Amino acid sequence: MRRVLSGVLGLATMLAAPAFAHHSAVMFDDQKEVTVTGTVKEFQYTNPHSWLLVDVKDDKGNVTTWGFEAEGPSTLTRAGIRRSDFAPGTEITITGNPMKDGRPAAAWVRATRGDGKQFDPRAGFAIK
Amino acid sequence: MTPRILAALALTALSLTATAQTAPSAEKQRMIDLGIEHGTARALYDHFKQEARGGQALTWRTVPDWTGIWTREASPFFWDPDQTSTTALPTAKLTPEHQRLLKDKLDKVAKGIEFDPLSNCEPAGMPRWLVEPFLKEFVVTPQEVYLVNEMQNEMRRIYTDGRDHPSAADAYPLWEGDSIGFWNGDKLVIHTAQMRAGQYQRIQPFYTEQVETVEIWQKTDPTTMVVDVWSFDPPALAEPWYTRQVYKQLSNDDKSLRIRYWNCGENQNNAVEKTDTGTSDFSNFTFTPKDDK
Repeated sequence: MRRVLSGVLGLATMLAAPAFAHHSAVMFDDQKEVTVTGTVKEFQYTNPHSWLLVDVKDDKGNVTTWGFEAEGPSTLTRAGIRRSDFAPGTEITITGNPMKDGRPAAAWVRATRGDGKQFDPRAGFAIK
Repeated sequence: MTPRILAALALTALSLTATAQTAPSAEKQRMIDLGIEHGTARALYDHFKQEARGGQALTWRTVPDWTGIWTREASPFFWDPDQTSTTALPTAKLTPEHQRLLKDKLDKVAKGIEFDPLSNCEPAGMPRWLVEPFLKEFVVTPQEVYLVNEMQNEMRRIYTDGRDHPSAADAYPLWEGDSIGFWNGDKLVIHTAQMRAGQYQRIQPFYTEQVETVEIWQKTDPTTMVVDVWSFDPPALAEPWYTRQVYKQLSNDDKSLRIRYWNCGENQNNAVEKTDTGTSDFSNFTFTPKDDK
């Protein structure tokens, strides 16, 4: 498992925060980022939010399932993220703003798949 | 909306003199004055209808092409697209009571206390419907127009067949209100009444059950829909709140963008509850116990 907590983020990052139309984002710490590497357990491609569940193994072999929240299917489609992009077992390194209460969940910011392809779920709000 | 930004917003809100909006453009001021001059939404709507000599009925040959998938152009955080900064207050001229209500809300948000009724899977409802993000469809028929919001499957029905609103005795608050309209050339003019109380958006003012709106919809080019909106709400607004909303048609060459049924409760991981302190928190995730910290 690789986990990195960053320091204070820049203003540009703050302004890029998603709408979170179904709920406030107060449960996430937008000033921190957590990055984990693991394998996809399940991609819940649902409204109002999608959840990418990632199994992360520590040095002792213990597995923790992390949940990364994004917007729903239509916004992910606009970001070029399909359900088929993250089949179970896919290797992934994923970054998000973590929960303030310490639960293994985060607001999904970006991800890199094992084959090197990068994904930005927040690009789904761009008008094109 | 991030807590840091909201904190800055609320601090700014404490000093109203420091947050005055820039003066509206001459065109915007003309629209504001139009609302003030007519005083009520119904009077403004009747004025437009008189100008249009009652309007023109559509036929299947004359319905405009409003097909496609659309989304709002401006930030979802603000009702008025002219409010582009979280360090400015909403452009509404609020009554003293609703100035206080807004300040209370912003103060709480700055402290990380925020709960949106949408988390209870309630619809946004009108007029908030106008500024919700995600996808929209606009379906025109000769006698009715359907304005569809992907989120919560919220569909507004605009009756353009000449009917009026239900009588006051039979009126009751509705999520999308009751909407009547007419066509003036390629412009659709709508009067909406009978709405439920709510909020224009999370860090925006509240509206009461007395809110009524007048909208003028016009497709100004193949990918742009412009909507002039006047909100009238005497308990909340010291004067009508005029804004111009813009929706853009999204490219969809591969036809992958489709509006699906929106079931707010289909995934337990999206369950959000109001805490004892009045803020929002996820309930129980399926992938980890609540006490896994």
